[in-house]
Amino acid sequence: MSGRDETAFTEFAVASRSRLRSTAYLLCGDWDRASDHVQEALIRVYVNWPRLVRKGGELAYARRAVVSVFLDAARKRSSRELPAEPDPTRASGEDVAASVTDRAALMAALATLPDRQRACVVLRYFEDLDVRQTAVVLGCSEGTVKSQTARALATLRATFESPALGGLTVNGARSLPW
Amino acid sequence: MVNDLKDLLRANVSAPPPDVLDVAAVVGAGRRRVRARRRVRLSVAALATAAVVGGAALGWPGDDGLGAEAAAPPAPEAPTITLADAGRAVEGRDYDVLTSYTNDDLDSDNGQYLDGVTDDGLVLFRDGPRRGLDEARLALLDPATGEKDWLPDSGIGSAQAQPVALTRDRLVLLAPVDDDADEGATLVAHVFDRDDRTWTRLTWPGAPEVSPFHGRLGPDGRLYVLAPATQGAVPEGGWPTQPGGDAEDADAEGDTYDLWSVSLTDPTDARDEGLRVGDVAFTDAAMVWTDRTNGDPGRVHVRDLASGEEHAFDPRTGERCNLLGFGATGDRIVLSQYCGTYGDVRDDRVQVVSTEGEQVVTLQDTGAEGWLPPGSDVVAVSAHRGDDRAGTYVYDLVGDRFLRVSDGVSSWSLGGPTGDPRQVMWHTPENRGRGATQWLGVLR
Repeated sequence: MSGRDETAFTEFAVASRSRLRSTAYLLCGDWDRASDHVQEALIRVYVNWPRLVRKGGELAYARRAVVSVFLDAARKRSSRELPAEPDPTRASGEDVAASVTDRAALMAALATLPDRQRACVVLRYFEDLDVRQTAVVLGCSEGTVKSQTARALATLRATFESPALGGLTVNGARSLPW
Repeated sequence: MVNDLKDLLRANVSAPPPDVLDVAAVVGAGRRRVRARRRVRLSVAALATAAVVGGAALGWPGDDGLGAEAAAPPAPEAPTITLADAGRAVEGRDYDVLTSYTNDDLDSDNGQYLDGVTDDGLVLFRDGPRRGLDEARLALLDPATGEKDWLPDSGIGSAQAQPVALTRDRLVLLAPVDDDADEGATLVAHVFDRDDRTWTRLTWPGAPEVSPFHGRLGPDGRLYVLAPATQGAVPEGGWPTQPGGDAEDADAEGDTYDLWSVSLTDPTDARDEGLRVGDVAFTDAAMVWTDRTNGDPGRVHVRDLASGEEHAFDPRTGERCNLLGFGATGDRIVLSQYCGTYGDVRDDRVQVVSTEGEQVVTLQDTGAEGWLPPGSDVVAVSAHRGDDRAGTYVYDLVGDRFLRVSDGVSSWSLGGPTGDPRQVMWHTPENRGRGATQWLGVLR
């Protein structure tokens, strides 16, 4: 990479890392791991920088890289960890209602979602990607994005149906926005 | 109270803990990964002699040790060698070291570098820019005595400069100015008159924006530069990503440039050569170029500079080969390519053809990158890999010798043009990869 490219990459990394770290945090639920994910993602961006600059898709590629790193890490963790029986009480309405804040409740609920469902939620409702864009990032069909998102939202809504939490909407509406 | 999902997501990241991400570390790791992968236009070369890989010793596809399993890279249509075919170069027998310089920790700061060699044997020595030295300073180092002749302030500042001509009369360094344009940069050259000890900054108002660091000095004394013309398309959604995070962009479409030339003495003299090229190189008697670069190179063209006659041929690169490096000397043309990854095996190639299109030899092996400095007869091959074949190798185009001169390559892109066709520069890692030693040697 030329010095010019490297300067441009550094500026991009500085400008985008907070946003990418937020995305990574929502995906993995841990700020330290989020930083690690962003670091690996930015290294991948660096490797591909000259072509990305031409295409003008630096941020989109970086976002895709973060999701890819997260999913890779999740796969590695799951292959190393002993499988456990799902805890039916975790993230139930009652448990979440006991959480200190709604924000914590959401993070707890997100943590119960399968990785790709969680990625759909984060990409659709934090990154504001549409179905097609989300499908590109996740490397799946638009239909899969719709179904995964629907399942994820159903789980989240069920969690928030506790009287203490008061329900959950998406853009103020209860219908799916597609 | 009803919660909005988007609001809750944003609220959860509204007060993050301090970010400890070290962008410099990211850049360092990225450099290493890029170099482990390819695309570094290597600094270069090395020396040696001894083991001869003559035509009779060259193997043909199928017996080159790359294995015959289905996932193996396809064999080149040429006499083929691998890194394992190199003989060990011995200092004092095959080559002599003229000088060396070590930077112990380039991870933490910029350092001092050997940036090239003049045709009267002095090394262009650069210090910085680094902490405490905002602008690089240049010297001519006598490798025989170690003495440095510090030059007056070049005015280059902190910009990156590429030596394109280092002669006993003048030093010409390209330092294009990035205008934040999407492509290209304003062409700027800094010329040092060694007799007058003065610098002149040259710009050409009539020249277009050019690709930085692609300047070539022609035998006619003009500087040939490339103005970006077309860019190869990237697939929708980007290139597929390999497990290690690298993009798999083999068989890319390639880029083209419009060839321009400028006078190094007259800023009003900028000429559109009326030729669209990929990469271009010069021998003493010919200009050679490809249709495209950074992708499928297309055909190789050869123009006799004396008669103006031209011919072209298919270099028969592999179907998935991207041209990454291009050079020429005498009747030899060198093409460095990345040709795809097959399982864990990268298909990297350094292909040597004659100016008539004959296949001379192709080195095919994982991590091999070749570079032929302008005016040199020695192809420097860096093998960036994690096994016992890592190191710098040289292919002597005059003697058809293939030799290994080091067992490691630093992660840094170091070196420059050499002043003698038999000289070579290479670099080795220091301090667990944080630093590097540069070597300048000459083949016996």
